[in-house]
Amino acid sequence: MRRSAAARRSAGSGLAHLYRNTLAIGAGLALGLFSSWLALERGHGFGAITAGPWTGWPRTGADDADPYARAVAARTGELALGSAEGLTFLARGDSAGRTFDRRCDYTIHSPVPVARFWTLSILDQHGQTIAGGQRQGFTSGEIIRFAPGPFTITVSREVRPGNWLPVSGDGGFELMLRLYDTPLSANAQSIGEGAMPRIERGECRT
Amino acid sequence: MRLVSPNINSWRFRLAGNAPWIAALFIIAGLVHILSILAMPRLAERDAYARLQARAPLNQLQLISNPPGPDHLPYEDPATELAICRFDLTQEPLRLRGDLAGSGLVLFSFRDRYGRAFFAMTDRGNSRGQLDVIVATRAQLDAISAEDGEDETPSELRLPARQPDGFVLIRALALEPGRVEAARQLLQSISCASEKPAAQ
Repeated sequence: MRRSAAARRSAGSGLAHLYRNTLAIGAGLALGLFSSWLALERGHGFGAITAGPWTGWPRTGADDADPYARAVAARTGELALGSAEGLTFLARGDSAGRTFDRRCDYTIHSPVPVARFWTLSILDQHGQTIAGGQRQGFTSGEIIRFAPGPFTITVSREVRPGNWLPVSGDGGFELMLRLYDTPLSANAQSIGEGAMPRIERGECRT
Repeated sequence: MRLVSPNINSWRFRLAGNAPWIAALFIIAGLVHILSILAMPRLAERDAYARLQARAPLNQLQLISNPPGPDHLPYEDPATELAICRFDLTQEPLRLRGDLAGSGLVLFSFRDRYGRAFFAMTDRGNSRGQLDVIVATRAQLDAISAEDGEDETPSELRLPARQPDGFVLIRALALEPGRVEAARQLLQSISCASEKPAAQ
């Protein structure tokens, strides 16, 4: 009787081990895959430079990009600029940290860092152009300046005077600032918030 | 006298008992995380090369449009016109030639199969606006430099490619919509072809 109880206990503990092994392996796989998905969905790898609402990943297109940046690029199909070509910055919200909403007006105020050319374009959250056959961005050659020096660009669903960047539909959007052939490429870490365009939210309509 | 036996149902006791499995769980999760991130460039089926493959023939410059859709390249500048030249160096090196004098901004990036740029430059990276680049494997480059005379300095830029397959991505900026056609013509004027090795 005593022996059979011991045998029963040992069989029970074997089952418990099997159960725990399976659970550990299963949960480990799930947690590992989930954390990878999260890292690829949210991030662009290491080495991000942030200046106000703008974030750039100058190493993403480079040969020595980190494994996260490579994985993100493989998934999205993005071909980031090489470091000799220029720098790309993305903004997903205004200078106060509020995420962009197409129902609101936004004003983008100069300055733009020194570059041979720059472009500012509007994209949806997947990096695609917003369809509609309208203007999709401004280049440094197209900006209307009312006085030599500062300028503003307005993002709005309604027609605006001056540099108007139209937007249609609902949901969010992203702004992409590209600095082509810029001397900043070499020491991108030194870009301060004051050197990058400021984004101010205006009126919102429902 | 009675010994106080530990309460085997307390969470501390259970946690201690399961510690090896909890440790194993996190080790497995860490390994899976690292392996899946490292494997992603090889596993991804819709990376840039796959999106471009169907649209671009080998050793030939091809202008590409970038409309939204499954083959869209995300985060491209709508103000730039794109051209790519897909290459396979197993047989012959690739030569890229063009006249960029007064062209405005043109960006060149030489990329491997995984879209990583092993070399990038702008139109200003060329001598007197003349583009002349050879992309070749190490062995091909050695053969080319063996042909060079003693005092000759090569007039072209020689780029070693790590892998035989990859592509050259050329972007031309159209500063305003009126210059889009000029940017396209400029891209089309660039020649991209396999280079026959000199007769032995």
